[in-house]
Amino acid sequence: MTFESIWEQEERQGLQRRLRQDYPAWLRRRRQKRRTAGGLATVAAIALFAAVALYNNTLTTKDYESVYCNRAGTTDAQWVALAGKTLTRAMI
Amino acid sequence: MRRILIIMLLPLMLAVGCKHKTETPAEGALYVRYASLPETSVAQVCGFQLCDTVSVDVVLLQAESDEAWQRMKNEFAIVDSIGVTSWLADTEEPATRVKWEGQPLLRIIASHDKQAIGLYRLDSEEQYDALVDYQLNKMTNDK
Repeated sequence: MTFESIWEQEERQGLQRRLRQDYPAWLRRRRQKRRTAGGLATVAAIALFAAVALYNNTLTTKDYESVYCNRAGTTDAQWVALAGKTLTRAMI
Repeated sequence: MRRILIIMLLPLMLAVGCKHKTETPAEGALYVRYASLPETSVAQVCGFQLCDTVSVDVVLLQAESDEAWQRMKNEFAIVDSIGVTSWLADTEEPATRVKWEGQPLLRIIASHDKQAIGLYRLDSEEQYDALVDYQLNKMTNDK
C-alpha cells in the first residue's frame, strides 16, 4: 500500500464516520425546523381565520346592508335610525 | 408543504366568500323615482333588519320645506294633516291603497310632524308579520 492509498482510505473512512455521526443530528434539526414552520403556519392560519370571522361578524351584525341617498349631510346611521323611528310613536 | 398551503388558502377562500355575500343591492325603482323630487331628501335603506332573520328595503322621503311636504302629500294622496297616516299600497303606484292578499306591496307610513314618509317593501307574509311585530315590540318597549 502506498502512502497515497492509505491517506485516501483514511480520508474516506473519516468522511463516512463523520457522516454517520452528523446525519442523525442533521435529521433532527430538519425535523425540528419543519415542526416549527408547521406550528407557525397553524398559528398564522388560526389568526387569519379569527380575523376573517370577526370581520364577517361585524358585517352581519349591522342592522342594514347599504344606504343610498340623494343629499349629502345625513349619515347612513341617521337614515337607518329614521327607518326604525318611522315605525314607532316617535313620528306622531 | 402542501398542507401548509391548504391551511393558508382556507381563510382566503372564506374572505372571498364573505365579500361575495356582502355585495350591495342596486338602487330600487322607488328610490330612482323620488330621488329627483325638489327640496326632498330621499334615501334607500337596503336590508333594514326587522329581526334576526327578516329584513326589508325601505325608501325614506323627507321634505325640506312646507311646500315640498305639500307636494309629497298631493303625490301620495294624503288628506289628513295631523299625526301619522299609514296604508298598504301598490308597489308601482304608492298612492293607490290596497289590501294585503299575499302579493308584494308597500307599507307606507307618513308623519305630518316630521314631514317624512317611509315606504317599506313587503314581498312575503314573513316580512309583513315581522314588520307588525317590530312595531308592536317597539311601541311596547317605548311605553
